[in-house]
Amino acid sequence: MTVASLGSRASRLAGSSLIVLLYAFLLIPLVAVVAASLTAGEFMRLPPEGLSLRWFARFFQRGDLVEALLMSLRIALVSTLVTGIVALMAALASQSLSRRMAVWFQIGMTLPLLIPELLTAIGLLFFLYRIGLGKTVLGLQIGHIVLAFPYCYVSIAAALRQIDPALDDASGSLGASGWQTFRHVTLPLAMPGLVMGAVFAFITSFDLYTVSLLLKPIGGNTLPLALFDFLTYEFSPTAAAAATMSVLLAFAGVAVIQKLVGLQRAF
Amino acid sequence: MSSLEISALCKRYGPAVALDGVSLTAGQGELVSLLGPSGCGKTTALRCIAGFIDPDDGDIRANGVSILATPSSKRDFGVVFQNYALFPHLNVAENVGYGLLFRKGSKAERERRVREVLEQVQLVGLEHRLPRELSGGQQQRVALARALVIQPRLLLLDEPLANLDARLRDDVRWLIRDVQQASRTTAFYVTHDQAEAMAISDKIAVMKNGKVAQFASPREIYQRPAERYVASFTGEANFLAAEVERALGGGLFRVRAGGATLDVRGAGPFAGSAVLLARPESLAIVTDGTGQLEGRVVKSVFLGAVQHCEVVLRDGASVRLGTPPDRPLPADGTVSVRLDVDRTWLMPDAVP
Ligand SMILES: Nc1ncnc2c1ncn2[C@@H]1O[C@H](COP(=O)(O)OP(=O)(O)O)[C@@H](O)[C@H]1O
Ligand SMILES: [Mg+2]
Repeated sequence: MTVASLGSRASRLAGSSLIVLLYAFLLIPLVAVVAASLTAGEFMRLPPEGLSLRWFARFFQRGDLVEALLMSLRIALVSTLVTGIVALMAALASQSLSRRMAVWFQIGMTLPLLIPELLTAIGLLFFLYRIGLGKTVLGLQIGHIVLAFPYCYVSIAAALRQIDPALDDASGSLGASGWQTFRHVTLPLAMPGLVMGAVFAFITSFDLYTVSLLLKPIGGNTLPLALFDFLTYEFSPTAAAAATMSVLLAFAGVAVIQKLVGLQRAF
Repeated sequence: MSSLEISALCKRYGPAVALDGVSLTAGQGELVSLLGPSGCGKTTALRCIAGFIDPDDGDIRANGVSILATPSSKRDFGVVFQNYALFPHLNVAENVGYGLLFRKGSKAERERRVREVLEQVQLVGLEHRLPRELSGGQQQRVALARALVIQPRLLLLDEPLANLDARLRDDVRWLIRDVQQASRTTAFYVTHDQAEAMAISDKIAVMKNGKVAQFASPREIYQRPAERYVASFTGEANFLAAEVERALGGGLFRVRAGGATLDVRGAGPFAGSAVLLARPESLAIVTDGTGQLEGRVVKSVFLGAVQHCEVVLRDGASVRLGTPPDRPLPADGTVSVRLDVDRTWLMPDAVP
């Protein structure tokens, strides 16, 4: 074996180990939570003491946690629908702006990403009280939509930018109206971005903490808030079971992207 | 099928003038080429005709009726785009049938029409392929079929061969000409390739900086160009500086050019100086000393069927010409050059 091939072998090995380390870094927390949720013992501990699903059952026996889960799901679903439609409309509108205006428009649309979540939440709190929606489910819903919107918008706008503007002209010259062009050309081609944006919006909304804490309605709780309350009194694997379900939900989202549009085209 | 008349079309992009008073006509069933270098406004003109952009000034009439107020979706013009602009998510049959979705007719009729057009462009068997699974030439045929399927009143083609390799170019060019002739569709054809324009067109508009420098048949453009720019853009050309002595009447002029006095044809009137166009095929080296011009061969290239020479004339002008390859050139390089005056053309350096 020559020195050169040894060198390239070594660098390949170094590259591979770096990737392994990276994956470990990203996956260990996930594996730990999932493992902890499957324990048969009484405590969150690694390695788990035997295997069981009892903590998942325990989760569903807790009325407050289940109610919070349903609330989170409902809010995330509405956020997804609303952001999906509004972000699509906004991204379509941005296409007819001049290049300079489009840059400013993009910054405006993604502003909630640039401002600390806490500041947005405080601003929203004042605003919602002023319009009489303080401490209501609708107010909380509005907060989630505001914070989920940028992810959805960025994803859809990126997909629209990939579409050759000549396709619009081609479709029009063949007799399609504006709506028909949207329906037969723009929408199918933007679908990967739309689905991905929707999944991002859903997961973002499902995970939001700060905003929910400030805007939560009286007597209502989202899952992250409920889990945090729960953990301050009780350190049982029920929390890990809830976290595991969140992880599964995220994987389900990725599966949806894969199924509908293919991961290669989405990312 | 229709005739088209464009008059004084203007289009500005900020300070840049893309079209500066373009006037053209295409008779029923004619193929008109817009020929010119990149950036001279060919695509802009085509996009105005298609209705993708509105001109700032001027008018476009189809069969005598202005179409400026008609949106592109109602014009019934088939457009073939430079980059094809095929719908990437639709297969060949769906791409070709797209325009029929918005017209009357049953599904069976649509399918029959798609098959008919696919046969015309020789794409049968590829119905279920996606555009990205096709070669460049096949994509071009799909683009052509998609434009033809709606039986357009006008066919607009923007550099349809620009992205094909040389061998395919000839095939597709003949295909375009054949289907255009077969369907008797009026067509506008944008290109920067003069040979392509010559071969395919009924009329050519040579464009220069947003203006039409000359609008005429390929023969006229080649043999009787309006100015030096047109001549240099339409094939090999030698230009001799000419002093016009006087007009002889009947389109003839007596000039001094290349160190000789010649009676040549041209489109006067001329004031003093002009340019004499002598295509390489109008020049020949003769051994019997009867040529009107004298010069010295400074360069010669053997190309098999022909030998290309560069000759410097007595007044210092240099010309290129072809000679039979088997004839040896004189050792000292001094030659007599005969100019076939019937194949020369006197023209102004530039039309103001
Ligand atoms: N959308 C546009 N914005 C600004 N300038 C343009 C635009 N389209 C064309 N132009 C300008 O108009 C001129 C003609 O362009 P074009 O019609 O595309 O030329 P060609 O097709 O002959 O290469 C060019 O100088 C080009 O820069
Ligand atoms: Mg062009």
